[in-house]
Amino acid sequence: MSQARLPPPPPPQWVVSLNSPMPRPSKAASSIPDPPGFSSSRGGKQRQQQQQQATTKRPEETDALKMKKAWEIAIAPSKQIPMNAIMMYMSGNSLQIFSIMMVLMLFKGPIQGLIGTNAAFAKYDTPSTHSRLLGVKVVYMLMQLVLLCLGIWKVNAMGLLPTTRSDWLAWESERQPLERAHFAFR
Amino acid sequence: MRLQAALFFAACLSPAAAIYPDEVNHIDFHHALLGTPSPDSTFFLKPSPASNASLLYTLSDKLLLGAVNPRDGGLVWRQNISRSVNSPAHGVGLLRGLDGNDAVVGAVGNYIASWSAQDGKVGWENRVSEGVVGDLELLELEDATATSGVRDTIAVVASEGAGIVRRLNGNTGKTVWEYKDTSGDVPFQVSSSSTEVFYISLQSAMLKGFKIKVTVLDPLTGQQTRQQILNTEADVATPESVLYVGANSASPIIVWTDKSQKSLRVNVIGTKEINSVTVDNTSGSEIRQITVHAPRKLNALPHFLVHFETETGAWAEVFHVDLMSAKVTKAYQLPYLPGQSAVAASVIDANVYFTRITDLEAVVVSSASHGILGRWDLQKPSSDIALHSVSEVVAKGKSVAVRSALFRKHGDWQLIRNGQIEWTRHEGLIDAVAATWAETDAQEDLAHELEVEGHETLYGAYLHRVKRHVRDLEHLPDWLKDLPKRILSSILTDEVSNLDSFGVARSVIVATKNGRVYALDAGKHGVVSWGVQAVGTSQWNVKAILASPGVATIYSDDGSSVTVDVFTGEIVSRIEPSNSKLHSIAVFEAQDGTSLATVGVREDGTPVTAFANEDGFLVTTSIDGRVLGWFAKDNKTPVWEFVPPSGERVVDATARPAHDPVASIGKVLGNRSVLYKYLNPNLALVTAVNEQTHTASFYLLDGVSGKILHATTQAGVDSTQPIASVMSENWFAYSFWGDVDGSESSAKGYQLVISELYESPFPNDRGVLDSATNYSSTAALPLPHAISQAFMIPESISHMAVTQTRQGITTRQLLCTLPSSNSIVGIPRPVLDPRRPVDRDPTTAEAEEGLFRYAPFLDFDGKWYLSHTRDVAGIKAVLSRPTLLESTSLIFAYGSDIYGTRATPSQAFDILGKSFSKLQLVLTVVALGAGVTVLAPMVRRKQVNALWRA
Repeated sequence: MSQARLPPPPPPQWVVSLNSPMPRPSKAASSIPDPPGFSSSRGGKQRQQQQQQATTKRPEETDALKMKKAWEIAIAPSKQIPMNAIMMYMSGNSLQIFSIMMVLMLFKGPIQGLIGTNAAFAKYDTPSTHSRLLGVKVVYMLMQLVLLCLGIWKVNAMGLLPTTRSDWLAWESERQPLERAHFAFR
Repeated sequence: MRLQAALFFAACLSPAAAIYPDEVNHIDFHHALLGTPSPDSTFFLKPSPASNASLLYTLSDKLLLGAVNPRDGGLVWRQNISRSVNSPAHGVGLLRGLDGNDAVVGAVGNYIASWSAQDGKVGWENRVSEGVVGDLELLELEDATATSGVRDTIAVVASEGAGIVRRLNGNTGKTVWEYKDTSGDVPFQVSSSSTEVFYISLQSAMLKGFKIKVTVLDPLTGQQTRQQILNTEADVATPESVLYVGANSASPIIVWTDKSQKSLRVNVIGTKEINSVTVDNTSGSEIRQITVHAPRKLNALPHFLVHFETETGAWAEVFHVDLMSAKVTKAYQLPYLPGQSAVAASVIDANVYFTRITDLEAVVVSSASHGILGRWDLQKPSSDIALHSVSEVVAKGKSVAVRSALFRKHGDWQLIRNGQIEWTRHEGLIDAVAATWAETDAQEDLAHELEVEGHETLYGAYLHRVKRHVRDLEHLPDWLKDLPKRILSSILTDEVSNLDSFGVARSVIVATKNGRVYALDAGKHGVVSWGVQAVGTSQWNVKAILASPGVATIYSDDGSSVTVDVFTGEIVSRIEPSNSKLHSIAVFEAQDGTSLATVGVREDGTPVTAFANEDGFLVTTSIDGRVLGWFAKDNKTPVWEFVPPSGERVVDATARPAHDPVASIGKVLGNRSVLYKYLNPNLALVTAVNEQTHTASFYLLDGVSGKILHATTQAGVDSTQPIASVMSENWFAYSFWGDVDGSESSAKGYQLVISELYESPFPNDRGVLDSATNYSSTAALPLPHAISQAFMIPESISHMAVTQTRQGITTRQLLCTLPSSNSIVGIPRPVLDPRRPVDRDPTTAEAEEGLFRYAPFLDFDGKWYLSHTRDVAGIKAVLSRPTLLESTSLIFAYGSDIYGTRATPSQAFDILGKSFSKLQLVLTVVALGAGVTVLAPMVRRKQVNALWRA
């Protein structure tokens, strides 16, 4: 079989242009701004590289990344604490619609966060990270509880918690005398 | 809790509840009473020469001088003369006035004064040092010295063995001249004609009886011009035998009768002649009373009427006096009529008219002829005996109109105008000695049914309730029939008047000293709905009135009791008096306020009977000033006895009211800890005074064990001034006049002291008993921790009471009767807080509690006056009673005037205000409904079109 192999056909033009770098745009063309939404070739390349890297990451690395992200979420509520504390301190202890609304918001956030603890970390929950995520969740819940405590402190400062003797006065009853005297003074 | 505190603080800061002008006469009523008008000192008078309007003036047996508007019976002005009289022995008062003269002159005892007839302002006043004023006359004649419009007064002063006649200047009351009669005759009266002044005295005859001596005086100088002595010793045995001495008449007369009342003797004053007229008694029965009615006016015809009363009927004879010959002739006779009759004389110009009011009709005749000018049948013939009357006649051409103020025996003062009763003043109420609110049984049935349901099983109670509701259906047609009217009335009338169903409109049962019982409807401005003579006595010493549903029982000190129906006044039953005189009545009340039983207490403090079926203790006071405690089943020996230290005398004792609910057992402080109140229903506050050392001691006793829980002594107390005390909840208050001159502080004046009792001085501490649910006074009874504070008050308090509300949530007011300013003031309790910080501003916590800085002088705020501008005089006791509305407390005051009102110490928080318009609300709802029905189809069409276009 001396059938001579035919050389492969030259790649089509689009393959060539795809594999070869883009010709340098002319000076005039380079002055034309990119249309909105078009990312430049460099950015596009970077993303491409990133994607290539991500897809090429090993599972351990992914997990570590996930844990890092999870920690960030867990710590996030603590950043609100100083702001909320200042707000609560400034809003005063009188019962007004604004202070009441702020206190309500203060309660709503942590309680919603606590209820949605699992949902918040669902993205990072894989069989491999599951055990490690437990600690993160605890920290997250602690942070939410700190916020909640801030709310309770505020409510207490507003005098809405039945912590004093006077709050239970209505449940205390008058001592009854065993004997009764009648008076004939008139 | 903070919210409550904030609200409370807000309530404290907002102005205290005051009476608004539109509530006057709406929530309160006032009977400004005068007492029994005395027949000689009651008259119609035109105070101003410019106006024809006249007022009705009287001086009553209570020495109250007043002017009454004859149009509506309202009091125009009133003066209490008894305050000005300082001679203890004073008789009846005298009051004189003249038409067109803006002054009425009155005298009581040694006091003589002139008041402006229009407004009652004092013109001048005089105190006679020599004796008492015997008679008084205004000089109608004008002389050169008198200024126009002001008339001088002639007064007779009876002093020891001498009679003094004085002419007093009408402007200043100064003596113009004086005539002294030192002959030792009894000064009797003074009279005047147009030219002369007559001084009439009684000269003792040799054997017995009196001769009438007439001394004629010159009105300008007071010199005696002549003297006449009438030989009347056979007829006139006592000064009372002289029936009448006329005055201010062209020919004043003296009238008396012979001993057998067979003939009438008349002397025209100034002449010697005695006319004798035989009494033409055709009735056949003995004459009981003869009264003479003559005009008191210089230009009036010299005619007079003599009214003869027998046991069964009365007639009258009219006489004319001949001015020339001083002869008296009988002109005609008003016929004998069975029953009562009252006659009054009145004058128009020179004509004299006599008005006779009998049981059935009113008749006006002229003095000149017997023709009847006017006759009216009485619309409501009264069975009550008419004692006396005054009349005013108005002539309109040939016909006449007449109005007569008639005083009836049972204390009603009526104005009858042309036979119709225009108004009635119940002057008998001035003697009120006891009062209570009537209980009606409207709610009682329901309460009973609910009680039955409470005791049954669940199923049985359910069946019972269903049956009850089915039974209630029979009222449905009536209810439906009433519905439109109710809706209409509730929309159109304002809200405040519509509270009758909340227990606001209750009637009050009032017992008076003269044995009468009245019912006053507090819902209808205190009108008297009925009045009955329950007991035929003039000294009814009522000790207690107990109201049970439908009836009220009045207990007297002689052991008798009368039960009256509260709706009709009918006497239901009567218990005859027992032989022992009672000091007080012990009432055994159940927890819900329905009275159960009574036991009389003798003057030595012992109960009359043992009360075997009652469980409990009884605390009594004896007349010698001891306080005794008794065990229920033993009335022989007291369990304990409280005798004050030697020199002290128990003057008063009070206990907490029977209805005294406590809403909160502790006081919440600013830091929200609790100061627990010392609550003991068996507390008694005993007031004892020591007249030698001028101290007053206040002892807080436990009624079961007799233990003294707290005692305090005030120095420098004037025991002749009123000392009032009251106790409620965990505090007591008392007031007195004190002059403390101590080293650290001195105070002179009226003081009000308030003490609050707490279980412990420390917050959140309930003392030794701690959380025990019950306690026994006989075991270790802990002592209270008392916090006291004194305030200087501007005037004396004669009586104290506390507002009562249904659940005790509303803050209380201390109701104080102020006798010197004739008013009732309700001091809010937060003002009287003894914990108010002294000499410093309150801390934030204290301010939150509502405490503010203590000021020693407590001025009565104008807003506190429950009686606002009214002159509520002579109040002896103030009662308070809860209504179904927690905010509202009923108040009733009696003693001399009658006053009733409603108090809302924490504002009327459970009542819609007057600004709330039901009509507006309904109209708004209707307008909104109409808008929705109009717009709904349009919007629907638009929505459908939008769907098609999309």
